[in-house]
Amino acid sequence: MSASPVARQATHSQVIPSRSVLITDPSQMPDVYSSTPGGTVYSTTPGGTRIVYERSFMMALRQSPISQTPPKCALPAALLRNPSSVPNVIHSTAAQKPRSNSISFDESQETFSMDL
Amino acid sequence: MAGNNTEEVEGSATTETKGTTNAEVPPEFLIKHPLQNTWSLWFYDNDRNKTWEENLIELTTFDTVEDFWRLYHHIKLPSELRQGHDYAVFKQGIRPMWEDDANKMGGRWLISLEKKQRNSDLDRFWLDVVLLLIGENFDHSEEICGAVVNVRAKLDKIGVWTADTSKQHANIEIGRKIKEQLGIHGKIGFQVHRDTMVKHSSATKNLYTV
Repeated sequence: MSASPVARQATHSQVIPSRSVLITDPSQMPDVYSSTPGGTVYSTTPGGTRIVYERSFMMALRQSPISQTPPKCALPAALLRNPSSVPNVIHSTAAQKPRSNSISFDESQETFSMDL
Repeated sequence: MAGNNTEEVEGSATTETKGTTNAEVPPEFLIKHPLQNTWSLWFYDNDRNKTWEENLIELTTFDTVEDFWRLYHHIKLPSELRQGHDYAVFKQGIRPMWEDDANKMGGRWLISLEKKQRNSDLDRFWLDVVLLLIGENFDHSEEICGAVVNVRAKLDKIGVWTADTSKQHANIEIGRKIKEQLGIHGKIGFQVHRDTMVKHSSATKNLYTV
C-alpha cells in the first residue's frame, strides 16, 4: 500500500524551521534526557499537524477485516441495510463465547485475557 | 530487534495472539486509522407526530476510518431511505441545524439532484462528500461543520455546511473541491443559512457560485 497513515498535506513543501542553541556550560542542559536544548523539534511542524487521508487510501481500508465487522452501537432496525444480517451477528458472537470460559469479555473492547 | 526478546520472555502470554496473526494481512489492515475529528451520524425521521427537533436523532459517533466503514456497511444507502428522511454527518458537538452556534453565521454548498440521479449519483455523491470531510481534504477544513443528504420526492439534495459565510476564499476553495471530486459539470451555489430560513431554498439566491 502506497499511502501512509501519517498526515500529509497536499500543499507545497516548506523548510522545517530550525535554530541553533549554543551550550557553553553543563548547567544549560535540560533536566531530563528526553528534552532537546532549546525545546523539542516536534514544536516546529510547519503549519501544525492535521490527519489527512486521500480518498483512495480510505477506499482501500474499506476492505479491511475491521471495516467489515458490525458497528458497536445500536441502530434502529429500519436503518439496517440488510435485516437478515442481524441473526448472523448474533450467531458469530455466540460462537466466540466458549473461548472465554465463564467470564464474559466484551470482544469489541479489544481486551486480552490473562493466563492466571 | 528487541521485539524478538520480548516475545520469548512473554511466550505464554503471546501464544493466543500468535495464532490469529496472519502474515498475509497487510499491516494497514491490522490497525484503526484515527481521524482528525470525531464525527456524529444523525438521522432525521419524518414522523408527523413529532416536532422537527424530536425527529432529529444522533445515532452514533466515529473517529477512525474503520469505524466509519463499519457503520457505512451496515446502514441503508441514501437511495434506500424513505422520502422525507435525512442523514447528516457533523463534527461532534455541532447539531445539524441553523440555530446551532457553529452554524449561525454559516451557509451551505448545495447540490441538487434530479430524480433520475437517485439511482445513478446520489449514493456516490454522498459517500464522496463524507470522505472529503472525514479525510480533511479541504485546505480550509476548519471551516467545515458537516454535511446533510435530504431524500425528497422532488429533488434530492446534498448540502455541505460551513461555519462563516464571510470567508469567501475558504468557501470558494471548498466549493471547487466538492465540484472537482464529484465530477459535477454544471454550477453549484452557496446559500446563507439566514436566507434559507426565511425563504424556500429554491428561491434563495446564491452568495457564491462555482
